[in-house]
Amino acid sequence: MAAHSIYGSYTRLKSHLMLAACFACTAGILLILVLVLGYLVSIGFRSLHWSFFTELPTGTPRNPGGMRHAIAGTGVLIFLASLVGAPIGLLAGIFLSEYSSKSPLAGPVRFTADVLAGVPSIVVGILGYELLVVPLGHYNGWAGALALAFIMIPIVARTSEEMLRLVPRSYREASIALGASRARTIFRVVIPAATGGLVTSIMLAVARIAGETAPLLFTALGSRLMTLDPNEPFPSLTKQIYDYATGPYPEQKRLAWAGLLVLISLILGVNILARIVTHRMQRHH
Amino acid sequence: MRYWSSILREKTWRPSADTWLFIVVHSAAVLLLVMLASLVIVLLPAARLSFQTFGWSFLVDSDWRPNEIDRPKRGPDGKVLMEDGQVVMETLPPQFGALPVIFGTAASSMLALLFAVPLSVGTALFLVRIAPSLKLAGPISFLIEFLAAIPSIAYGIWGLFVLAPFLQNVIEPLAQQTLGHVPGLSWLFTESARISGATVTRSLPLSGRDMLCGGLVLAVMILPIITAVARDVLRAVPREQIEGTLALGATWWQSCKEMLRFARAGLFGAVMLGMARAAGETMAVAMVIGNNNRISLSPFSPAQTMSSLLANEFAEASGPMHLSALVEVALILLVMSLAFNIVARYFVVGRQVPAGGG
Repeated sequence: MAAHSIYGSYTRLKSHLMLAACFACTAGILLILVLVLGYLVSIGFRSLHWSFFTELPTGTPRNPGGMRHAIAGTGVLIFLASLVGAPIGLLAGIFLSEYSSKSPLAGPVRFTADVLAGVPSIVVGILGYELLVVPLGHYNGWAGALALAFIMIPIVARTSEEMLRLVPRSYREASIALGASRARTIFRVVIPAATGGLVTSIMLAVARIAGETAPLLFTALGSRLMTLDPNEPFPSLTKQIYDYATGPYPEQKRLAWAGLLVLISLILGVNILARIVTHRMQRHH
Repeated sequence: MRYWSSILREKTWRPSADTWLFIVVHSAAVLLLVMLASLVIVLLPAARLSFQTFGWSFLVDSDWRPNEIDRPKRGPDGKVLMEDGQVVMETLPPQFGALPVIFGTAASSMLALLFAVPLSVGTALFLVRIAPSLKLAGPISFLIEFLAAIPSIAYGIWGLFVLAPFLQNVIEPLAQQTLGHVPGLSWLFTESARISGATVTRSLPLSGRDMLCGGLVLAVMILPIITAVARDVLRAVPREQIEGTLALGATWWQSCKEMLRFARAGLFGAVMLGMARAAGETMAVAMVIGNNNRISLSPFSPAQTMSSLLANEFAEASGPMHLSALVEVALILLVMSLAFNIVARYFVVGRQVPAGGG
């Protein structure tokens, strides 16, 4: 190709150099991924011990115990947040996918969902503080769950919309042609065809809120006690990791590394699962 | 109007399943609008106290002093006032100004863009122009998406324990040795403060936890979003556009340039989205930026962003005025990120093709 080029060697050389630069950029990003993940996984593995899952904090920094309370706390927070966030998010997703082509609300709602997904999570934490911490007079788990639900809803709405859009239009047309009502078509045809995708959209949102720290700082606050009562300051994995990692004791830092590894494994697992499900749906339809 | 009246066509008030679903689904949609409105409605009254006290000067005042301080009172000639051999003291009330954190947010975001944009656009070009023929587009896209899924706190810990020591021990001494002696660049490594009326200059303690570290961590965190959006934008460039340039004999890079030129509005949107993400990012920045409420132009000095200020001070706010000032900072942050997002959405035109039911 070079022999026939109408350009001088400088132009061709520049093209080759830029091609190499694009390779280098990609390699650079992958290198960053390897550096970050490699570090976190390697220190995490060295620190992870069975007692991490089974023991509670002891109160003595030299022998800090485990993080059972924080795992349970994050579990409860996710459950409470999903209880509110998943149905509302899914319904909004159904609206965006099934009703939006004629609804005058469609444009504003899709736009709002996108904008909400971009609201800084710390601001959502302050919303939780004003709505539930100030009235109750103390930090509590409800406020944390509310903040997480707030973050969850736009994510579920947008991803479930995309999943529902993967269901071919012909399915809907066939169902309507057979005389089924709109609601029947959605519940009996569209949703069953997209079940995997809808579950995935919730899982992705759960993975996202499981890693959130900022909205919990002044809502759930965190706690070193095992508690399942959301009326009290509530423990969470991320806040506990943050406290231990920025604290002075190496034994506690080790617990933080282990917690981070658990968190990242969970998130990686969900992301891989999501990819598999989406691929399968795309192939199916 | 016709759209809404479809549910009112019932002859008797016994709504069908269709009607119920219509109502429920639309309520959920309206709830999204309410959520966005509630952010402003809830935060505004909480920030009122601060706004009434400081007004618009909150935006340009660089003092952030949560506690009242006592200091010697000075006369009009600048001398400390004495009375009966005692220094006369005056008490200054708490003072809040958001300029340092607004500056910190802007500077750290710009720094992040400076590092992230070239890398992201290069990678996006790779993903669109090179990777498909190597069958690499899928796996690399997935890896980059995973970079986006790693929680903020993980980046914070990496920044705190890997990047900051590296900057402190390797990069910053190196920079100081090479750039420190260049005339006109010494401000990079010094800070000056006014003590008793005189300006004192001293060299910066290089801690590694500074604006540079914050910018770098932010850059890593916004790489995936800029790459993903830039990739989609470049992919949407019509094939004919590229084939046309190649047919005219353009080199690979010349056709890429044409592609970038064609997609420039979308690329701008991608950058704005990255900017919005960087401005709102909290935990990672709070852990590495050094948390110092002062304006300094040197990237080697500790700084503070709006979100890191909130993370550090909100839970331990020292009174209603402090709390209110922090909420006002949150409002500024909210408005800023909304503005960035809206501008970005305007440029990245909806990539969805309408499907679904009618």
